[in-house]
Amino acid sequence: MLELIDVHTYYGNIQALKGISIHVEPGEVVTLIGSNGAGKTTTLRTIQGLLRPRQGKILFEGQDLSSSSSPEIVRLGIAQSPEGRMIFPRMTVLENLEMGAFHRQDKAGIQADMERVFTLFPRLQERIKQKGGTLSGGEQQMLAIARALMARPRLLLLDEPSMGLAPMLVNQIFSIIHEISDQGTTILLVEQNARMALTVANRGYVLQTGEIVLTGSAKELQVNETVRKAYLGEE
Amino acid sequence: MQNFWKALRASSILGAIGAVTVLLFGGWSSAVMGWLLGTAAGYTNSHDGLWPKPKIGAQMGAKTGLILGIWLAVASLVEGLIVRPLSGQTAISFPQALQYGLLGLVMAVVWSTVMSTIQSLTDPVQRRRMTWLLMALFLVVFPMVDQRAATGWIATVIQILIFAMLALGLNITVGYAGLLDLGYAAFFAIGAYTTGMLSSPHLGIEWNFWIVIWIAAAVAAIAGLVLGSPTLPLRGDYLAIVTLGFGEIVPIVFRNLTAIRIVEPISGLFATLLNRPELAICLVGCEEPLNLTNGEAGINPIGRPSLPFLGTFRSDNYLPWYYLVLLLVVFSVFMINRLRVSRLGRAWTAIREDELAASAMGINRVNVKLLAFAMGATFAGFAGAFYASYITAIFPSVFDFSVSVIILCMVILGGLGNMAGVLLGCVIIMGADRLFLPQLAQVLKGFLNTTVLPNIANPALRDFLAISFDPIQMRLFLFGLVLVVMMIVRPEGLVPSARRKAELRSEDPVVNESLADVRSV
Ligand SMILES: Nc1ncnc2c1ncn2[C@@H]1O[C@H](COP(=O)(O)OP(=O)(O)OP(=O)(O)O)[C@@H](O)[C@H]1O
Ligand SMILES: [Mg+2]
Repeated sequence: MLELIDVHTYYGNIQALKGISIHVEPGEVVTLIGSNGAGKTTTLRTIQGLLRPRQGKILFEGQDLSSSSSPEIVRLGIAQSPEGRMIFPRMTVLENLEMGAFHRQDKAGIQADMERVFTLFPRLQERIKQKGGTLSGGEQQMLAIARALMARPRLLLLDEPSMGLAPMLVNQIFSIIHEISDQGTTILLVEQNARMALTVANRGYVLQTGEIVLTGSAKELQVNETVRKAYLGEE
Repeated sequence: MQNFWKALRASSILGAIGAVTVLLFGGWSSAVMGWLLGTAAGYTNSHDGLWPKPKIGAQMGAKTGLILGIWLAVASLVEGLIVRPLSGQTAISFPQALQYGLLGLVMAVVWSTVMSTIQSLTDPVQRRRMTWLLMALFLVVFPMVDQRAATGWIATVIQILIFAMLALGLNITVGYAGLLDLGYAAFFAIGAYTTGMLSSPHLGIEWNFWIVIWIAAAVAAIAGLVLGSPTLPLRGDYLAIVTLGFGEIVPIVFRNLTAIRIVEPISGLFATLLNRPELAICLVGCEEPLNLTNGEAGINPIGRPSLPFLGTFRSDNYLPWYYLVLLLVVFSVFMINRLRVSRLGRAWTAIREDELAASAMGINRVNVKLLAFAMGATFAGFAGAFYASYITAIFPSVFDFSVSVIILCMVILGGLGNMAGVLLGCVIIMGADRLFLPQLAQVLKGFLNTTVLPNIANPALRDFLAISFDPIQMRLFLFGLVLVVMMIVRPEGLVPSARRKAELRSEDPVVNESLADVRSV
């Protein structure tokens, strides 16, 4: 479904991605793990067209994305819940969700997705008129995911959905991710919390300073020596 | 009881405004103010159907109208019997002053009662419709009343309405999209100069005003795109500085476009290389250089609109001008309101809130920002076209930085992002600037000359006083003072949009952050 081939991305002169190749098949949950500054967020931004790769190819369902703008990419079916949530703080929950569906015109479809999102996140329905900025951290995270779902993406990019959340909420968020995947959305999940990520994912990539150093099924990665030491914090 | 105090306070504020006006202008102005402020008092009296029964609403309206009316009546007496003689105008008799005062009082009571009764209608649709109807009635009848009452405000009101259009336009860029534009007067200038060039004997092109006004708006919109494009990667302070530069450049360009000669470039190059000027093929300004804008002297005269039955608008008859500009303002309000709730309007809000998140939602950042500039500029183009034709002469010095600042002040004073607030801010600033200060200056001067100066023996002191007591000179100082006080006391503006209000007043951290960004505007 999605394929990155030897992608190099720069911030000015700083090279953040040094030729990474990953692929995501329909229906999969693929996780991208790595420590701070490894280039995970950069990868997602590059896929979404917010950054341009200087070299390499990004194919989505066979179509080359490297010359598409981010509005076009959203329309093709890739939506993102960005790192740090980035909800619109002064818009209400409802308005935030509507912004997620910004590129869509089908009123009925939007309404249906709104209901779907509210069954996934009943908390949001209770707070529909509340300003985004006054939600708790966990609620903001839910809103960010829900907003991405409002684009009705075929591929959902999640950037650190568990960041800054209490363990209880982390579990809840991951079970929702599982549910979204069961409903048929393909997911590329970026996480620091490798343990949780590997429990929901089918496959994973390990990113280190802009390079893929390891890949395999979630099971393989869970038992891999390096991963255990570096990312699962085991001895 | 609490409602009573609220009403008392509102009507006293309005009463004080009315009293000051009457003290300065005297005569029939109390009747006009009674009507205007009575309507306003009735409106503030009871929004949201506070009074469930029309009868209670009417009673309440009568009371507030009475309080307001007393202010007006007292002011009329003071003006006629004390201020006039002291400031060297002919005094009027007590019955005459009383008559003016009572008329103001009656007007205040009647209109406050009417408006207040309307506000207590239970059906919100009916209530809104009646309120609009009453306001529309006021706006339509105003010129006749002004003429009858000999207050002579209409020329100023036309100016206020021109600036209302400008403020509404700037509100799109600054209020909706959050792009601080310090050079907005440039678009006003572009609209005016386009009109000047296309409908004046100066260049020999005299097109019809009704066509030219659209061209002016379109040219201004294109200028908006041109200004917008270099600012795209910039934020906040940097953006402000680029727009500031644009605002400075445009009047200078108009000042200097006085001797244009354009040569076809390739032959021009040869001519220079071979040092044979006759080789150059001249395109524009061949016999003598083309004087496009006539520099400092400006373009004059500029064509006026004409209509089938009315003929060409005349400068001594304000009525057609008034209705035309009123129509333009109503049109602007309508269009901008449509824009605000459209997809584009929502995209503006989104990029104002968080640009990166907005692009992740698939909002085209570039187009949305450019359109914010272009749309804002369009209304300045309309305003400029009307202005040029109304004044029939334009000069580059009219469009300098202070104009941009004044318009920005209107937007901020009234409440960023809220059209009613912006209009109110415009009326207050323009009213104070163009109506009150000049009149105050005149009254003070009369007062100095008749009452103070004759009693001062020292000639040096006399000269000093005569020179330094001029409120017009303190105009910018007063202006600055109002803004400073406003930003401290009520940073969200007089009538803030619900969103901004929430941002600014709550204790939430998000809100404090946004406080910072509004203040840095
Ligand atoms: N806007 C930017 N300008 C310059 N360098 C940047 C920028 N954003 C990120 N970088 C650099 O690119 C590298 C990769 O950053 P990225 O945000 O992709 O890391 P990450 O894997 O998401 O880390 P984290 O887990 O901490 O979010 C880092 O070295 C970072 O300093
Ligand atoms: Mg990151």
